[in-house]
Amino acid sequence: MFDTVMIIALSALSIALVLLFIRIIIGPSTQDRILALDAIGVLLVGFIGILMILQDTSVFSDIVLVLTILGFVGTLTLSKFLERGVVIDRDD
Amino acid sequence: MTGMIDVIVAVFVVIGVFFAVVSAIGIVRLKDVYSRAHASGKSATLGVIFIMLAVFIHFLSQGVMNAKILLAILFLFLTAPVASLMITRSAYRNGVKLDKNTVTDDLKEMYEAKDRDK
Amino acid sequence: MPFQILINVMLAVLWMFLQNEYTFVSFLFGYIIGILILIVIRRFLKFDFYLKKVWAIIKLIYLFMIELIKANIDVVKVVLKPKQDHKPGIVAVRTHLESDFEISMLAALITLTPGTISMDFSDDSKTIYVHSIDVPDKEAMIKDIQDSFEKAIMEVTK
Repeated sequence: MFDTVMIIALSALSIALVLLFIRIIIGPSTQDRILALDAIGVLLVGFIGILMILQDTSVFSDIVLVLTILGFVGTLTLSKFLERGVVIDRDD
Repeated sequence: MTGMIDVIVAVFVVIGVFFAVVSAIGIVRLKDVYSRAHASGKSATLGVIFIMLAVFIHFLSQGVMNAKILLAILFLFLTAPVASLMITRSAYRNGVKLDKNTVTDDLKEMYEAKDRDK
Repeated sequence: MPFQILINVMLAVLWMFLQNEYTFVSFLFGYIIGILILIVIRRFLKFDFYLKKVWAIIKLIYLFMIELIKANIDVVKVVLKPKQDHKPGIVAVRTHLESDFEISMLAALITLTPGTISMDFSDDSKTIYVHSIDVPDKEAMIKDIQDSFEKAIMEVTK
């Protein structure tokens, strides 16, 4: 029963990921695509979390951390680059 | 006892997945970038926080205190507002159009005043 | 304040040695006992009891949680409404907060609360530009933000 609920949850999350993918393809502006990619990064963290419960292992916890940080950094650099054309601002 | 904890974990996961799916629907359905940022910045974050709490409770019931998962929840909390702020700001500065229903736009005045000063 | 935390941690470590049990649980237990001891001797200390500040932070987090859940119910309502006829808008909110830390905190709180995300700052970073998904009443929204969050943040940082 418990495993069934988890598998249904995984399927629902996969559908959500497909929806986000639609937005990446049709998104009128580049910012739309960044937004959808950011959301995909966040949802993948949840996906791995459910996998951890299902397989009863905590080895993926490092991956969760790295994915969170990398998703954030990627979003920041992309939007900063689009804003001014540079990633690192210098005050001078 | 374990049955109890399984039920709690399942409820948390279901709530989290519900919010995550709603945010995905919102990103597809809403009309402009700024409204979509609402869906992705709030619902996706809360949904995943619920799921990670469920994971934490699941491992805590087996006697494993997994602090890395709490750390991941903290990171999600801290990073979500910054990410949505950066995306909407870069969208506005690149001139992505607002939705036609929009009633007020105070930000436009600020940038116009800045242009005049130059 | 750092001095009191140091005393507290030292008491916790002492408790661990006395128990001869070097685990996180016994550290936590010792820390709680240290807090109790600090409550008893708080009149002899020169500074304010530091848990008062911790209590303010806990209150802020509680407020934040309630608002976050309300925000999500709000988003669910907007997203699942059959007809998309909400009226979004960008509103300028002036703050009375001083330091950079307080202002960035306020911006983060605004993002995670019902119907609003912070978008941009003015040059003197005293005005936060907020995008709201539905603006029925501009003045009420500004007042709401200023009343609830600024007060809670000031309580923590002051």
